[in-house]
Amino acid sequence: MSSIEGIPEDLARVDLADKRAILDLDASLYPVEAVYSATYVFIDRCYVLLDRPEAGTLRIVITPKQLDDAESQLRDVVGELANELVSAAWRHQITQENRAKIESVTMQAISGAMGPPTLDDLEDFDFTDEAFEDPLGIAMSWEEKYAKKTEDGEEE
Amino acid sequence: MREVRFHRALYRGESVDEAMKVYARFAKLTPVEEDDHWVVRVEGSSEAGERRIADEMANYALGLTIQRRTE
Repeated sequence: MSSIEGIPEDLARVDLADKRAILDLDASLYPVEAVYSATYVFIDRCYVLLDRPEAGTLRIVITPKQLDDAESQLRDVVGELANELVSAAWRHQITQENRAKIESVTMQAISGAMGPPTLDDLEDFDFTDEAFEDPLGIAMSWEEKYAKKTEDGEEE
Repeated sequence: MREVRFHRALYRGESVDEAMKVYARFAKLTPVEEDDHWVVRVEGSSEAGERRIADEMANYALGLTIQRRTE
């Protein structure tokens, strides 16, 4: 087992005998979804195994399928994987932050694609529900709001 | 003999089973259940063969897990 130049050994190391690299990730920085996205990119040219050696840590064991110059190739793969992990984690965070917006736009698109309501739909629609509360009487007409009242309390 | 350890929190059991079915014709695969892992023992005709089958099976199980994680 040897370290990779520029990367702390407790984060990433290479095993030249088995021709594989091992990355240990902080699960609070790299959610599982991001790890899935990043590793999926590599499974056509590398063998990938995931593990959780302890709570809060995710381990990626990656072995290139074709290996010419073991050490430099492993270093390149680790670098590419690290970049992909950052990118996937960032995409995941953006998706989480905008989930409500994405769902709202998707719902609007789906309801728009369904077309305008038919006369039957309108006939069945329940208009009795109050659309919104109006404590300041903003939605009231001028006549309703300022109409003179008779002595009986009825509006003129 | 070689062992592949699939963590239960990271791999779907169905995906591991399906991967085992695909690669069972290339080597003797024995499932072993542990608390945190599904372990598959791989016994083939050579050490290199065992390693190749174990690696391919792990990739297959991971690919299926990722593809089907939203189901």
